[in-house]
Amino acid sequence: MKEKYIPFLFLLPALLYVAYFSFYPTASAVYQSFQTPHAHFVLSNYKGLLYFGLSEAILNTLFLSAGALAIQFAVAFVVSSVLIREFRGKSVFTALFVIPFGVATVVAGFSFSNIFATTGGYANSLLRIFGLPPLNWYSSWGMDMLTIMVSDSWKNTPIVALILLAGMTSISPEIYKAAALDGAGPLRRFIHITLPNLKGYIAIALVIRGVSEFNIFALPLILVGYRPVFLTTMTYEFYSTTASVYYSYAAATVLLAFVLAFSLLVIKMRENH
Amino acid sequence: MNNSKLSRTGLYIVIFLVSLAVIYPLYVLFLIAFSPVRYTLDARYPLQYPGGLTLTNLLTAFKGFNLVGPALRSIETAFLVGAIALVIGIPAAYGLSKLPRRQANTITTLLFLVNMLPAIVIAIPISAQFISAHLYNTVPGLALAQELVVLPLSVFLLLGAFDSIPRDLEYQARVDGAGLLRTVYLILVPLAKAGVVSTFLLAWMMSWDEFTFAVILSPINPTLPIVIYENITRGNILASSAFALILTLPVVVMTMLLQRYLKGEFLAGGLNG
Repeated sequence: MKEKYIPFLFLLPALLYVAYFSFYPTASAVYQSFQTPHAHFVLSNYKGLLYFGLSEAILNTLFLSAGALAIQFAVAFVVSSVLIREFRGKSVFTALFVIPFGVATVVAGFSFSNIFATTGGYANSLLRIFGLPPLNWYSSWGMDMLTIMVSDSWKNTPIVALILLAGMTSISPEIYKAAALDGAGPLRRFIHITLPNLKGYIAIALVIRGVSEFNIFALPLILVGYRPVFLTTMTYEFYSTTASVYYSYAAATVLLAFVLAFSLLVIKMRENH
Repeated sequence: MNNSKLSRTGLYIVIFLVSLAVIYPLYVLFLIAFSPVRYTLDARYPLQYPGGLTLTNLLTAFKGFNLVGPALRSIETAFLVGAIALVIGIPAAYGLSKLPRRQANTITTLLFLVNMLPAIVIAIPISAQFISAHLYNTVPGLALAQELVVLPLSVFLLLGAFDSIPRDLEYQARVDGAGLLRTVYLILVPLAKAGVVSTFLLAWMMSWDEFTFAVILSPINPTLPIVIYENITRGNILASSAFALILTLPVVVMTMLLQRYLKGEFLAGGLNG
């Protein structure tokens, strides 16, 4: 009887900590997003946000997340297919490849802001070496997005690749051999063997990275400031500059809703397959 | 044979290009920190190789800016986050390893949910709580908040480490008359040493790099990432490069040390359930 409760006793500090520092503040943010100094349970914060460009922030966040995930998964598939093979210098390459995982986002932001600087930038200096004209890396919405996506992918592709690699290691080489004997080329083997067997790992990487992409914060703040606006930078802007902190609660709640909806979607899709 | 030689060449081309992409942003950081400004920041087209090497940039930055305060604060916070990860994480992981599978899965899901709740959603309500609890702008306060980022992963890592210890060893200890706490801390923890150390280092590293909680909860007593961000936005590029260097060196070393544990299986740990 008593033995049964002992594991819970061990878990208690963690559960209490998580309840107090994570669940309670989250609930309180959602609750306060429906409050104003003068009224309770109203939508006026959300209406205000719509006026200040909430739809734009949502679209930008979704677009950036989708683009960054596409880049990261594409590169990660290539790199993990390399890492699954044996070759000379593999350990050196692996060590090198995971370095960005440890580099702070602000440092990545620092380097890329100097690489993509419009005047005196390293990317433009490279272009010049190849005889190409300099580019304004922030000339349009699309360029802004691309610049942020590339910078973000530099830091975050390693973790995707490591997770995919773990999945690939779990696939028996026999299956590949059999498929190759049956005449399936590399592309068909990738589509018919690698992808289906990796589903669980892809879902995990997608949730981990997708959630972080929605939360992308320091990088856009350093590279483009508050425009184009994202849900996180919008939340922070309202928190740090306006008199009404309630707007930031509303923006935060929208962000939370998207993160939870996305995770549920991925988990559901994984279950349905 | 010819075919495999060709794919070997392709393999090394991919490895070369990926390595270049990984190194380049760090190389830019190195150039800005160590070459004379006339080749880097003051040049319209900065040199792609060091035009000369100098320590002037760093010395000016260290003289003009208070590095010691933020660096010490970052170190203290990181050690505290690592320590709390073990203090709360070890019993939690042990508890989980003792629970029936279904209950363990429920709690794992709960911890996973913690990782999905956006930091900015939590940080804003917490800042109000912290002000009244005198934890705002303090190291312990920041560490308690950053622990949220780290704890779920720590518990999974430790759980993996405990699970790999043969059950018999534990029963043997109990039969020999060791109490439960003694068994956990004097027998299991030493056996799971590698997992415990890597958990601590990973927690340390994640705190060292953390931005969102730090910028919202400790703006007046900033940690290194915040100082870098502030200096970038103020246009003090040389100072930021010096700070970025300090921030990056320890994590690059630690990423190398931790490489054995930076595996997809661990990073995705627990989410397989």
